[in-house]
Order: sequence, then structure tokens, then C-alpha cells
Amino acid sequence: MGEGSVSQTGKRQPTWKLAQAIASDTQGLVVTGFGHLPNGRALFLELPAGSGPGGGAWLKVLEVVAPVTPAVPPAGDEAVQPRAAALAFTWTGLERLRLPPTALASFARPFREGMMQEDRLRRLGDRRGDEWQDTVIAGGPVWSANTPRRPPVERHVGAYDVAEPCKDKVVKTDLSVHAILLLYTETADDAGQWAAAVREALRPHGIEVVRELELLLDVVGADNVSREHFGFADGLSQPEPFDKDGFVFLDGTKVCEADRVQGVPLGEFLIGYVNGHHESAPGPVVPGDGWGDVGLLPQHEAAQGFKDLGRNGTYMVVRELRQDVAAFWRSMDENAAAIQARDPRHSAHVTAEWLAERVVGRNRDGHLLCPGGYLKADPSGQPDNRFLFHESDPHGVGCPPGSHVRRAHPRDALAPTAKDRQTLLAAANNHRILRRGRKFGPKIADDRTDDGQVRGLLFMCLNTDIARQFEFVQQTWLLNRDFATLSEESDPLVGPRGRMTIREEPLRRTVQVLTYVELAGGDYFFLPSLPAIRYLASL
Amino acid sequence: MKQTTLCVPLEVKPESCSRLCALIDALCLREDKDDAGGTQHFVRLTTEMPTLHFMSMSVFTAAHYDPTFILEANFDGPPGVFWGQFEAVFGPDLREMLRCCKKPLNEDGPLYEAVTSADSRTPVAPYLEARTRRPSVFHHGNRGLTRDRILSEAKLLGTVRNELDGTDLSGPSPYRGIEATGLHRALRERLLADHPWLNEPPPPRITKGERLIDYLRLVVFAVVVLLALSLPGLVLALLLGRSTYVALMVVTALLMGALVYLKRQGLPGTQVATRFNLLTFLAGHWLLLGLLVVAYVATAALLLVPGISAVTWLLDRFGAGRYVSVFEAFWPVAHTVLWGLLSLIVTLPFLVLWLRFLERRDTSHDAPHVDERLLREMVRREDWVAQNHMGSIVPIRPGILRTIVIRAGHLGLGLLLRVKATSGHLGSMRTVHFAHWAFLDNSSRLLFFSNFDHSWDSYLDDFIEKAHVGLTLAWGCGVGFPPTRFLIFDGASHGRRFKSWALASRAVSRFWYSAYPELTVDQIERNNRIANGLREASLSEEAARTWARDL
Repeated sequence: MGEGSVSQTGKRQPTWKLAQAIASDTQGLVVTGFGHLPNGRALFLELPAGSGPGGGAWLKVLEVVAPVTPAVPPAGDEAVQPRAAALAFTWTGLERLRLPPTALASFARPFREGMMQEDRLRRLGDRRGDEWQDTVIAGGPVWSANTPRRPPVERHVGAYDVAEPCKDKVVKTDLSVHAILLLYTETADDAGQWAAAVREALRPHGIEVVRELELLLDVVGADNVSREHFGFADGLSQPEPFDKDGFVFLDGTKVCEADRVQGVPLGEFLIGYVNGHHESAPGPVVPGDGWGDVGLLPQHEAAQGFKDLGRNGTYMVVRELRQDVAAFWRSMDENAAAIQARDPRHSAHVTAEWLAERVVGRNRDGHLLCPGGYLKADPSGQPDNRFLFHESDPHGVGCPPGSHVRRAHPRDALAPTAKDRQTLLAAANNHRILRRGRKFGPKIADDRTDDGQVRGLLFMCLNTDIARQFEFVQQTWLLNRDFATLSEESDPLVGPRGRMTIREEPLRRTVQVLTYVELAGGDYFFLPSLPAIRYLASL
Repeated sequence: MKQTTLCVPLEVKPESCSRLCALIDALCLREDKDDAGGTQHFVRLTTEMPTLHFMSMSVFTAAHYDPTFILEANFDGPPGVFWGQFEAVFGPDLREMLRCCKKPLNEDGPLYEAVTSADSRTPVAPYLEARTRRPSVFHHGNRGLTRDRILSEAKLLGTVRNELDGTDLSGPSPYRGIEATGLHRALRERLLADHPWLNEPPPPRITKGERLIDYLRLVVFAVVVLLALSLPGLVLALLLGRSTYVALMVVTALLMGALVYLKRQGLPGTQVATRFNLLTFLAGHWLLLGLLVVAYVATAALLLVPGISAVTWLLDRFGAGRYVSVFEAFWPVAHTVLWGLLSLIVTLPFLVLWLRFLERRDTSHDAPHVDERLLREMVRREDWVAQNHMGSIVPIRPGILRTIVIRAGHLGLGLLLRVKATSGHLGSMRTVHFAHWAFLDNSSRLLFFSNFDHSWDSYLDDFIEKAHVGLTLAWGCGVGFPPTRFLIFDGASHGRRFKSWALASRAVSRFWYSAYPELTVDQIERNNRIANGLREASLSEEAARTWARDL
């Protein structure tokens, strides 16, 4: 699934790197999904409440047992690292670390309010009013940051005011997650041992691992491509950062210009660099005196007397998505049978596999659907990702207009005319996310039979403007019921049940898709720089 | 069918502002609820105001003005019918709201008294009509489609879908395995029984007369602007010898051009590279520009000749000169107009230079105050349906040049939109149903209302990414707008700053009604294409294939 994507592995094309000057300050997860470490754990931490100094002391312990991996590979080759770790905090987590209140107020609004804010849940398609939608597990998500209700707006009572009740609702989950620790290892055994060691080390500090997911990359076959649970190659299309000030390198050379198709400014994924709006994304600050060891942080450029907590950090969106593999494939079977019943003479090609490819927009190996077949592999034999839709498939006869890949990143597909293609491609690249998801749960034995096991994708993505990047992708592309002049249909893979149009000449086919992916928990995290983590440890 | 967009701005008694907001909220709640217990919203408006597309009521607060209550309405046909329907549905509610508003101190005062006095039965609509503001610029996305037509064509799509792939159907489908023409014929035959209107040709969305007037207005506007800009040249060309005049123009133009060139850079850190290049844009339209010059010279000469001829006739009567007939005068006048046009190379750079002078001294508002309480009220009302609504008021930058530019700019933009934006597309965007600008408070403030598709953020992103040039032109006159360059560059390209500026200017859309909340502009056009195709007795194979792609 493109939305939540498993990292790619193996030696494919060269991957981008950060300039040495900032790489040692930046978490490794920003530049890599640690594809050489196929196993791992996601530990969801609950921090103890408390007061006074010492809220971040446990981070010094963590520094010993699971040091956060920087973006600079030791001895020049990341493949020699047997272990890697990444760490991020929710807003309530930072509160528990006892970050000063002004610093807590300096974060971006989506992060401060949390994913479970009622208006945000509506925009993300998870909840309307008091009703969880059917793309959420029964009873609602089990974990979130449990960000408290926004403080009532301080309001001077005026002489002529008419009473207005506070209408904010609180959406709570059973588990409160304050931090997420991601561990990446070569073997499953090592992941288990490491996770146990971390648990052990943190327990004396009152830190509970309230949820743990076994992460894995599932690489089968020689193509070095990992597949998500439905069976499709994943993590293929990623933005390629560039930076006009020369902070991005590819194959040893500076990348100062945007790639024609996938080029996105570094500032879209890292605070402190030029982003799609020609500025550095606003980041958090801490007062320059009195709270922790502020000497670890650089001076903030605009806020005189404040230290820059955001530089070389970013925001991470996490959504635990469960996948019902048997329901997906059985539903494809049923739809194929229904189409064949209605059109017995011209539908020999319509099979469950054919329909599933159209739902995703690629075949199992990751090759894009094109009019009359699949897109040819690139010279290295990998799925080609430099394609544009409007050029080769303007009406979506090959890759359906509402297929998951086309919705997740429309490229130039939404251009009304050929002369608008470049504008629409550039516009689409203003809403990109860097996907770092991994799947969890065992592989299904028979994809038509429900084995009762829980499996899915821990969707994780990095962006510096949550509203313009992740939320936009979710609301305006994936779940938009009018995307690309379709009507009353959403993303067939990750959206709610409903219609899906598959274009054929002269008459399109339609299928009724069900809900195959459900949200089990999620929230917004802040992925700090390494100096910022050291600062938090000093609190 | 012609459509009308209007707004009624009313000053609010500060003491009654909170009460007014509560009244609007209560009205919205009352109308939104389905009395029959169903899931329909705003049933009474839909049935009793059949010409209405969109309507809103908001209260704008501002630091330097008392609150302003604004009623916005977009409907089919002339205002008379609308006000009649409005009176019947909202009369009593509006009367109570008007009591929260100030009594106008001009000649509308007595009417206000009559409407708002205790136990008054005087209709409120005439008062609202008297206080109505016409927009300075407006845009209608699905221009010429009446509300009823939009609704019935949307219903037709539902019927078509049911026919093509209803779940209750079994057995082989008659629509598969046939050519597009056959598909069209079969579907049309099947639907004709229940939709006899498919036998009638589609009513024209814009009549030829309307279209002609749209073009004429734009041409007259262009001629007047050019005439005004070449006025110095007209005078000088008559006073000076031709060679002196040309030499003077060229030398001054070079000087002006050099000065403009020196000031071409954006303010430090604000310049944004853009794909739009004014010179290539103009070069790409050279034929049009040439035609425009010919048309201008001819029209301006035709406009001027009768006056000149009349003056010489008068002079002749008094023995002060020779009478020049209209036919005799035409060529010399046309010549002079053409030579006068040469002075554009001076007047245009002069205005640009003046503008650059202002732009380089403008302030921009980097962090406008956003009222947290109002923001939460706005967000709470958004993203429930496919469409959303926004209202905004910004103060306008002062100064004589800015005043002229914004007045002429809005007039020109409005006329241009009428000519160009007839299929819902604004450039490459197609998300605006009804939007308009209007000047308030003796043109010191600019009001903007829009009824658009998708989220507010995506609506603004659309503009930032695809139409920042036009947006900067139209809104750059607002106080605090991000730094602009040559009126059209930079500005809105500073996406986050532009958005926070726009957000701070908004008001809560306390009452907002859409007659078709789940239909986007794009969908309405698609439904219209499907319906228009079905109205045709037969289509060519190619036309049928294109038509079938929409099904």
C-alpha cells in the first residue's frame, strides 16, 4: 500500500544523504528506512507523571541501551550497522519530560492538538460527530497521545455577551502513548533480546512499554522488494529531496535542483531548510535560560533569546493500520464473479488478481498499470518510478483514475489539459511525505482464509507541515469522494466501503469494494534532532 | 439563465453583536434540523427558495471598525424574485437580526425605523435591497446552470448508474460488448420514458446576446484604459513636431525602463522563482495584441471623431475655424490616436516605477493575530460536506495609485472573468462555485466570499500553487499582504504567510446554505456533459466515446 509503505531493501538506486555537517545531528530515520535491517520492534512508551527537574533523566539510560542512530553511517557504510534505533515523542510525552509550557506552545497546531482532536478526526475520515467510521476498528482506536482537551480560550466576559457553551469534545483511547522507540535489527531474535533489555533498563524509571509491535520487512524473491500483507510490492515511490543550499548529496554530489518527477525540497522533511513555501518550516523553541542545558541547542534565528529545538528535527505521523487480507481477496473474488455474470462474453480477463491490481494501480511486483499492460522496468530491472500519468494514460484506462497509487500521489494526473501538466506536477509535489512504514504480524498462509491473526502496517511518515503534507494526502487525495472527476468513491484500498470505477473503452466497469484496512491507533510525533534529544535528557 | 451574486453589509450595534451571533446560530440550527426526523438538511430553504444556490450570514469583527453583519446570496435570475422568497422564509428572523444592527444615518434611516419598530409588519426585503452591495468582481463556476437543472442532472447520473450497474440486476448486461454509439442509443431509449426532457435541446447556459455584451464591455474597458494611458501622448503629439515627439518618447522610455530594470529584484529574501514570465506571455499573444491595437485605434477614433467634428462645426459657426466633417476628421484623428499610443512606452514604465517605489516600502504582516475562539468556531463548521465556505475582509492599502490600480484592476478582472471563465475553470483549477469581491466602507476595506470545493487549506493551496499570479494581483492591495513584486510576483507564493494572513481576515460562517452540498463544480460539469449527450438523438462514434468516458 502506498499510503503506508514498507521500506525498500537491497542495493537499488543510490540513496540520498545529508551533508556531513548536519548528518551527525539528524536521526538516521530521516535518510533511511534501515532496509538492511529487516527485523525490528516498535515500543510504545508511557512516561510517568511528575514535577520538578529529572523528567528526561531516563533518556541518559536509553543513550546507553539503545542509542539513537545518527544519519551519518559509521565507517562510511551503513550496512555494517547491526542495530539501529529511532525515537520520537508525542505532545503529552514532551509535557511528561517537563518541557517548559512556552516550548510546548511553540509546536505546530496539529501536533499540539493531536490526531484525536474531533475536527481533525473528521478531516482524516476516522470519525464524524460521535461516530467512529468503519475504517476504524470496532470500539475506536486503542492508543493515542491522549492529548488533553484544548484549554478553554481565555475570554474576558463582556457586558453584552450571550452565553456560549464550550462545545469541545474529548476523544480518549485506553492507552496513552508518550514516545515511540523504533528498534531495527538483522534478526528477529536480536530484536526480541534488545526490546527486553530496553524494557528492563527503563522500568526503574517508571516507564512502561504499553504496546509492542514486531516489525518486519518481508523480502521474497530476487527483486529485493518487500511486499505488504495483501501481497503487493511496496515503498516504491518516494520523494527525492534536494536543497538549494547544498545540504543534500546523491552519489557524492550535491543535489541543488529538483528532480523532474520526484524532486522535493529538503525543508519538507527537515526543519531548518527551505521548504515548498520558500522558507524554513516553523519549529519549536525553548526559552534561552533556566530550563535544562540550553547550551546544547543553537540560537533561534527569529526569536531573540530563544533556543532552536526544531532544527534538524521533523514531525512523524504514526498510524497503526490493520489489514484484513482474507476479506480483501474474497471481495476481489466476489467482484470478479459479479462482473463475469453480468458480462459473460467480454470479461475473461477480469479475475481477482486483475481487479486487485487495479485497486492498487500496480501489479504484485510493483510495475505500474498502463494502457495495454505494465510499465517497462527501468534499466536496473526495478519498477520504473519516473512515469507521469497525464502523458501516457490521461483517462486512466490503464491505471484507474481512483486507484491507490494514483490517489496517493497523482503526479500530473489532475491536469485538465496537457499544458497544465508541469504546474500540476509541481503542485502535487508540494504535498509529499517521506514514508517509513513497516508491516507487523505474521504472513497469512492462505490469502482467502481468515486465520484470526492480527496483522497490518505500522504507517509512519515524516513531514514538517503535517496539515499541508500528511493530512492533505489523506483528505484531499485518498479519501476525496470527488477525486479526478469521480464521484461518491474513495480510495479502494484504504478507504471505506463503496464504489470503484475501472475505466475501459467504451464503458467503464464498477466494483463494490469493502473496508480492508482499519485504524487501530495513531498520533503525531516529534522526531527531534540528536542535540535536541540530549537537551531533553537534561530536563 | 443569468445568475445574481450580492451581499448586504450592515453595521452592528456593538452591544448587540453577541446576541446577533446567537440569533444566527439558532437560525442555522433550526433550519439544519429535519423536522420529519430524516437526514435532509435545510429542507425549507430547498423547497421554498427554489432559485437559491448558496447563502451565508456572518458577523465580522475588526479592531478599527464596529462589527459588520453580512448576508451573502447567490441565486438564479434577478433579485426581485429572490427577495420575495427570502421575505417569506426569513422575514421575521431577519427583523430581529436587523434590530441588532445600527440605524443608517442616511436616507435609508426611515425605512430601517419602519422595519424594526416594535410589532412592525413592514417587509424587511426592501430595506435589505436598499442596502445591497453589488460585487466588484464575481465568478460563477457552473455559469448559466440553474439550481433545478443542477439537481435534476445529478439525479439523472444516479439513474444512469442504476441502469448500468444496479446491484439488483442479474443476467448479462445489455450495455456490454457494444460500441459507444450503441451504448448511447440504448441508454437514451431506456431513459426517455421517465425523462421526457431528454428530447428537448439543452437550454443555452449563456445566450449569444449575453456573450456579445460580455465581449463589448471588455473591449470598451480596454479602449478607455488605453486612451487614458495614451492621453499624455495625444496632447504631446499634437503640440510637438512628430520627430521631436518620437525622440522625446524614446529617450524617456529608455530612462524609465532602465530605472525599472534597476528595481526589478524582489526585497531581500522574498523573491520566488515562478514559471510565469510576463514577457513570454505577452510574446505568446502578439497576434491578439496586434488586433487589440487596430481595434483600439479604430474604436478610439470613432469615439473621438464626432466630438471633434462637432467642435469644429461650432468654431466654424463663430468664424473661428473651418468645419471638418466626420469623414474628413477620421484619418487625422486615427493617426493621432496611433501616435498617442506610442506614449504607452513612457506611461506604463512610469506607473510600474511608481508601483515599485510603493512595493519596496510596503510593510507585510508576518504574524497576524488569529482569534483562537473564532478559529475553533470556523474549524468546527468545516469539512462536513464536499464544499466549504469562507468570508474575509481586509483593509486596503492607501494611496492614489493603489486606489486606481485596484479599482481598474477589479473592473478589468471582473469583465475578463465573464469572457474567459465560462466552464468553471480558473486557470487549471475548477473548485469555485460562487465567489465575489466587494468594496466596503467607502472602499477602505475589501470583502471576499467564496463557496468552494474541498477543504479550506486545499482551496488556498490550489491558489498558491496554480494561480499565485492572479491571486497576488487581486489581493495584493490588502494591508499586510506578503511582499509583492510588479503587482503579480512573489506575494501569494509565500504560501504559509499568505495563508496565515488570509486566515486572520476570516469570519465564522455561522449560517451557510448550499443547495447541493455534495456536488463539486467538476461533478456538476460532468453531469451536464452526460445529460447534454443524452439529449442528442445520436452521436458520432468519436463523440460517443468521449461522452461514455464520463459515465
